[in-house]
Amino acid sequence: MTLPARRLPRDLRALEELLRDGQVRRAPAFSPQAPQILPTGFAALDTALGGGLLRGQLHEIVGPPGSGGTALVRLALASATQAGENCALIDPGDAFDPAPCGIDLARLLWVRPADPVQALRAAEIALEARFGLVALDLGDVSVLPPPRAPKGVVRIVRFEKKPLSPGASPWARLKSRAEKHGGVLLLLARAPQAGTFATATIELERSHAQWDGRQGAPGRSLRAVQAAAAVARHKRMPPSGPLVLNLPLRPK
Amino acid sequence: MPKIACLWVPELSLVAALRAEPQLCGGPLAVVQAGADLGGRAHVLGATPAAEGVGPGQTLAEARALCPGLAVRQSSPERERAAAQAAREAALAVSPRVEEAAPGLVYVDASGLSSLFGDDRAVARELVAAAERVGVRVAVGLAASKSVARLAARAAATDLALEATSHGVGGGAFRVVGLEEQREFLAALPLHELELPDELHQSLRRFGLYTLGEVAVLPPGPLSARLGPEAALLSRLARGEDTSALQPRLEPDRFEEGEELEWDASSAEPLLFVWKALLDRLAQRLLARGLMAREVCLQLRLADASWDERTLDLAAPTREVPALLQLLRLSIEGRPPPAGVRAVRLAAVPVREVLEQMPLFGPRGASPTQLAAAVARLSALAGPHRVGSPRAPDRWAPFAAECGKFVPPPPPRVSPPPAGELQLAARALRPPRTAEVRCDEVGAPLLVIGEGALGGRVVASAGPWRTVAEWWTEGPIALDAWDLELAGGLLIRAARELHTGEWRIEAVYD
Repeated sequence: MTLPARRLPRDLRALEELLRDGQVRRAPAFSPQAPQILPTGFAALDTALGGGLLRGQLHEIVGPPGSGGTALVRLALASATQAGENCALIDPGDAFDPAPCGIDLARLLWVRPADPVQALRAAEIALEARFGLVALDLGDVSVLPPPRAPKGVVRIVRFEKKPLSPGASPWARLKSRAEKHGGVLLLLARAPQAGTFATATIELERSHAQWDGRQGAPGRSLRAVQAAAAVARHKRMPPSGPLVLNLPLRPK
Repeated sequence: MPKIACLWVPELSLVAALRAEPQLCGGPLAVVQAGADLGGRAHVLGATPAAEGVGPGQTLAEARALCPGLAVRQSSPERERAAAQAAREAALAVSPRVEEAAPGLVYVDASGLSSLFGDDRAVARELVAAAERVGVRVAVGLAASKSVARLAARAAATDLALEATSHGVGGGAFRVVGLEEQREFLAALPLHELELPDELHQSLRRFGLYTLGEVAVLPPGPLSARLGPEAALLSRLARGEDTSALQPRLEPDRFEEGEELEWDASSAEPLLFVWKALLDRLAQRLLARGLMAREVCLQLRLADASWDERTLDLAAPTREVPALLQLLRLSIEGRPPPAGVRAVRLAAVPVREVLEQMPLFGPRGASPTQLAAAVARLSALAGPHRVGSPRAPDRWAPFAAECGKFVPPPPPRVSPPPAGELQLAARALRPPRTAEVRCDEVGAPLLVIGEGALGGRVVASAGPWRTVAEWWTEGPIALDAWDLELAGGLLIRAARELHTGEWRIEAVYD
């Protein structure tokens, strides 16, 4: 294999500049086998997703509190950081608990924006910076616009501070950023947000909690939570059947 | 044979002014003393070629009479300091051994540089280019000794031009004096162009000596006996005998840029304009040296002559001007200075830029520079203390977290098999939400009345787990914690303060 020498800059200084700016990194023509999948670490879900999360795509996890959405996001972060990927967690709810769960915290950038609009912008910046996995945790907030006022009602408001707007279509913008820069955008929300811009939608449903010991007896503790997951929609794979999530509680 | 280059910034005050306002290069401009009365008695320190007839030493009234459309700027010690520093850094970008003899006068050890840049002319050209990259116009002389290099730089100054560049002012020139032509070069130099004491100069003129060549042929002993030790030095200079060694200094630990305002700035907007220009120049200087800013110090001289100093501890090294500008704006808005601002000084503490070889066939990740820039942009967006690598604090505090610097290690050569395990995660509530909890006769919770969905009848519970910690601090922890399952399936961690009896919800399991 020979390199196309005539295309290389002859000036050593020019080459150093390119290396410094990060413009010279790899030869795309020689890397057709670059991995396109980022496993979540949960084998059954990876199988249903066709191997894992697709690079350059937006994935959405939707489920009520207690159904294991946060656990799935943390598992995906653990899997990616252990593989050497730099990951970003956009956490406008300031809800991340750094208790040991397999995440290599040195590779995780934790961003706590003040509001959902800032969170969307932060996710965009993280995708542009080529983080391997960008997890956007909207488990406690929503970026959906408020319902419109009914027609025929005129509101007169003076000196009202105009709130920041997430833009016409934040998900289209985020999806295009993910496609352009090759990162995975994993969105956690309580209700569907991204619509058709999501390549895959994973729906969760909580089942029941398992307790050790009799109610009121000393030593009783929460052992685990049972939940169910399903890939409800995928642009390249058929919908999956329900997958059982067993979520044990590690004592804190 | 040693080779010494002299990098000289002629008319430092003029160059410093044009570096800050390069658009004035083409027009008539005169720089006068700082703080002088602009009514006409101020003395001109330097002028652009477009100000025909205007030169150093004239009063401003004379200069205005000669050139009616003359623009005038006062010299700024802050700008001159920054320009001199930039010239020194330009020299350091070419050679590691550099001596700053005076502001705007730098000697560079050029021995061995030919293997990097080519012949002596290429080395001198590189010095001129390095200075222009940081916005400073210089005259460079290269010779076998410091004194001859200095004279060569003076000779090169006659070829200087004045051109506006994107980062300041260019149009530098150089003169290389080889060992074989040194005698001829020195012999032709007129004595009045040297910085000789007036008394010595007058004596030499009375003897009919006008060039260095005429001094060189005189015997040094009788010359020094008649005219003193300064004449002995001149005689040695005339023969090219200079044995003074280069005294290199360490690299600067801070890169500084400053500006004095013509008015008291009392809002953020005018300061943003000034900071933008300063940061542009700082970033250019850092880029020229392959460095990044680890920390940025902002010093504001206020109208009451006091100083307001603040430090931006960056989440990651960067030289991204928009991000730094945003951080400065956040700092000034968060803690406004108590009086109007008269002068601004920005200092960057540099750190070596991390260069990393990217894999040819692996996933396309970010370079350390891109990562640092992204962290800086995110810090500017969310706040500097809300971006970083998460870590648990080194004390017992439930669901507490801190932000550290984000410095990811290099990726492993072989990825280990994933060892993560699906487990129930806690979503911390910061700060914990207060709630009203009804309990049975033994203290077990029966009903939680909290904000929004954080409430309901308790279906199952486990606890209490008593924790007493941090009692030696001002914020002791004494609580009974419970895991509660509410009607509807929500699982929460609630705790009752032992001292106050108040309940709070600390986390939601998900």
